[in-house]
Amino acid sequence: MIFVNKQKKVEGQLDLYRQTVSECYQGFLDAIMRYYQCGDREQLTDDYHKVHKLESRADDIRREIGVMLYSKSIFPESRGDILNLLEMMDKVPNQTESTLGMILTHHIKLPEELRTMIVELLRLGDLCIEALLESAGKLFSDFTSATVAIGKIDQLESDADVVEMNLIEKIFGSAIYSDMQKILLRDVVVNMAGITDKAENAGDRIRVIAAKRMI
Amino acid sequence: MISFLPLAGGAFLGWSLGGNDAPNVFGTAVASRIISFRKAALLCSAAIIAGAFLQGQAGLATLGDFVTRQNMTGLTIASIAAATTVTAMTLFRLPVSASQAIVGAISGISLATGTMEWSLLLKVVICWLATPLGAMIIACVVYKLLGFGISQVPMSILTRDKILWSGLLIFGVYGSYALGANNVANATGIFANGRIAGVTDQHLVLLGGVTMALGVITFSKRVMFTVGSGIMPLDAFTSLVAVAAMSFTLHIFAMIGVPVSTSQGIVGAIMGIGLMRGAQAMQFKTLGRIGIGWVLTPLVALILSAASWAIVTPILTPAS
Repeated sequence: MIFVNKQKKVEGQLDLYRQTVSECYQGFLDAIMRYYQCGDREQLTDDYHKVHKLESRADDIRREIGVMLYSKSIFPESRGDILNLLEMMDKVPNQTESTLGMILTHHIKLPEELRTMIVELLRLGDLCIEALLESAGKLFSDFTSATVAIGKIDQLESDADVVEMNLIEKIFGSAIYSDMQKILLRDVVVNMAGITDKAENAGDRIRVIAAKRMI
Repeated sequence: MISFLPLAGGAFLGWSLGGNDAPNVFGTAVASRIISFRKAALLCSAAIIAGAFLQGQAGLATLGDFVTRQNMTGLTIASIAAATTVTAMTLFRLPVSASQAIVGAISGISLATGTMEWSLLLKVVICWLATPLGAMIIACVVYKLLGFGISQVPMSILTRDKILWSGLLIFGVYGSYALGANNVANATGIFANGRIAGVTDQHLVLLGGVTMALGVITFSKRVMFTVGSGIMPLDAFTSLVAVAAMSFTLHIFAMIGVPVSTSQGIVGAIMGIGLMRGAQAMQFKTLGRIGIGWVLTPLVALILSAASWAIVTPILTPAS
């Protein structure tokens, strides 16, 4: 009974972590949409702080889970696997925060003519993170089916790569931006697409964790 | 004083047996850091004493039959020779068979005195061959059944860990119990059937069990890692399969009344897992070393006891 309670606590914290990662990305998504709508830097600063808080909260929860895993009777192999996965998943909120931070600190204006493609890139990132969180959740409810959503992550990451390429081509093919703007916009796009890359890497880790436990 | 020396020989053998054979039961779990050595040694010791005391009589009778034609001097020499052989193999970190050591040692005396019981020796040798083979087959069956069971029930990886952890503890204790029941005969069985005045079979199983337990606590760490990780890397699942297969095999032979080797049981079980998972993961060099140990053990014990007999008996026998 004691073991069950301890396990429930760890699983509860893992659920909270997944929820925080999801909220962090939603905060990032909302921030970009609002910035597109009104271009207000004050609003962007507020939104950045919200995302930053969520990213820090995700870090705190991850550290708490680490401590819990070391104090609970969990196999060293599983402990290592879970901590490693959390570290990889943590790169997703880090990337969202740093992308938003870049837009804010570099005073980057997101051009209207790129809006459809950027929104599409962010939508793919949203779906990708959703699939990642679903997979990670499955590890703690039905690990044999954890890999089902990984295929979805791979496909979404691949789609995001295509959008990223098209965006970069459009940016550098356009005559309306200065060279500096082109480089900055490219960096923003690469950072946005980097979110799906990080999700894919974490998905690969889940695949290995599940495969190790399949007979 | 007359009965002290044979019993000391039995106690020495029990201690060396505990040091060499107990790692086979908990070695996989300890090497994969699933349970600490201290916890494993305590659990194993308690279960060995229980197994020896409650179900150790059957093997005692078999080994007692095997040595009916030997006198007390021969038996004492045999037990000390066997114990020395097992201790030496433990120092080389090789999991060997105490059964092979004691039977090899008795055979040495029997050959020297011309009293060899060939039919009984044949029965024991057949069981030696059957042990790794049986464990290998049982491991394949347990691997399939347990794997199927776990894959059918949706569960968290943490729940899976808990199931395997509990299984390893339960089968570790069960395996230790079976080790006590089966192998106590190797330690003190040769003195069974009232061969020492005032020492009953109950006394012998208790002495064997306690000295084996002491061997576990003080001398088993060396071999533990050879078994646990030397043959092939084992995870929690395969550790459980190996220990369960070895325990079942050992218990079956304990019920038949033939003392067999946990070393052969666990190595056979791990080879069975290797067959299921792909032989490329197996360390054939380690297996080769273990195989050489298995051949050398009865031979070394035989030579030691025969040579000791040749040296000691002229001294003890008064010149006519």
